[in-house]
Amino acid sequence: MMDTVLKVEGLCKKYPKFTLADISFGMQSGRIMGLIGRNGAGKTTTIKSILNLIHKDGGSIQYFGKDLQSCEQEIKQQIGYAAGTVDYYKKQKIRKILDITSTFYENWDEEACRRYMQLFSLDEDKTPSELSEGMKVKFSLVLALSHGAKLLILDEPTSGLDPISRAELLDIFTLLAKRGVSVLFSTHITSDLDKCADDITYIKKGRLQYSGKLSDFIAQSSAAGLGGTLEDIMINSEKETFDEGLA
Amino acid sequence: MKALLNKEIKLASSIITWLFLVFALMALIPGYPILVSAFFLGLGLFHSFQNWRENNDILYTALLPVRKTDVVKAKFSFVIMIQTAFFVLSLILTVLRMTALKNSNVYVTNVMMNANQFYLAAVLIVFALFNVVFVCGFFRTAYKFAKPFVASSILTFIVIAAAEALHHIPGLEFLNKTDSAADLRMWIILLAAAAVYIAVTCISIKRSVRLFDQIDL
Repeated sequence: MMDTVLKVEGLCKKYPKFTLADISFGMQSGRIMGLIGRNGAGKTTTIKSILNLIHKDGGSIQYFGKDLQSCEQEIKQQIGYAAGTVDYYKKQKIRKILDITSTFYENWDEEACRRYMQLFSLDEDKTPSELSEGMKVKFSLVLALSHGAKLLILDEPTSGLDPISRAELLDIFTLLAKRGVSVLFSTHITSDLDKCADDITYIKKGRLQYSGKLSDFIAQSSAAGLGGTLEDIMINSEKETFDEGLA
Repeated sequence: MKALLNKEIKLASSIITWLFLVFALMALIPGYPILVSAFFLGLGLFHSFQNWRENNDILYTALLPVRKTDVVKAKFSFVIMIQTAFFVLSLILTVLRMTALKNSNVYVTNVMMNANQFYLAAVLIVFALFNVVFVCGFFRTAYKFAKPFVASSILTFIVIAAAEALHHIPGLEFLNKTDSAADLRMWIILLAAAAVYIAVTCISIKRSVRLFDQIDL
């Protein structure tokens, strides 16, 4: 039986010109979930909320059955986060960033870290500012993977990557899922999800449209005449709103 | 907290913060407003805040397996550590001036503030102001620090001017004594300033934690 690694219920966040309303979804271990929606839909706000980086206005977030607010430190030991690129300590050597970061994790695996560094062809003597966008993503993945995270939360990890790097990254996600690691990643590149996602959570204008199996979503949307691929479904669904806006 | 403080020292802080500890030596300069040294230490700490902001350190730290509130506590720990180092250095130099150099002509005839218990007390008051106005002000946004720094600098110079002026007021000449080791009033002033520093810093930490918890990174 699969364990619930993440449970979000009724998540709300209000900004003056945007509201994320009543977002609920759950994730099981060993699954890959895509968080989709067009730019500004609320994907990053959702991710930042579940990482406690922003102050939510309502709802609850639980990891491994524990509340984020009360067990933040313990939970963060078991999750890994990577944004599209590393945007901190750009002028510090990668070796130094790794050394300092490793001191915070009880399960930091130096051997695994070296393996990932080698796999991604990363040079410890370089600084993040000397890396290409794709290599920066890979470096943030090394940081996220080296402490044996059970859940990876990735904000647009494939943006800015060339097709080969993207394919490699998606292969890594699949491999990790087979090992029981769950992966939640936001993207607007729907073809990435076709290749590896088991589930999706679809947000439109700050509201939850769907959360569940990707195959079910495609079947339901296809039956509703919205198209047979995730890309077609999203375009048809979002384009209607655009047309209404012009009318 | 140990790992966080280690991170502050090895990765996050600016070298300028450490170099500006040397300004404690200003306590030996005669005929100079030596309390300005405490302002310079604030300027040195300001460089670390600038470093943190430019390197996105607040976000990096918040993503580590620590509580969000620990981000604030780590920054305060670093600030307190630097201020303590400066104070200890100033204390050593003040003891030197109050003992071996107490009869030195340049200090006995010094019209500006002498290094004694009152000087150390004033240093602590400047630090307390820095913590409540600048550090607390920074954690309103964890990004903007120009206004808090200008406000804390203005207040610091008011304190410096007041501290320099006080011993010229009849009846308060004792504040500038070079041989004040046996003067109980001076020890009471120093202890009171230490109590103010501790109380104000504790309040600043509490307030900063509350402010930081409300902001979106």
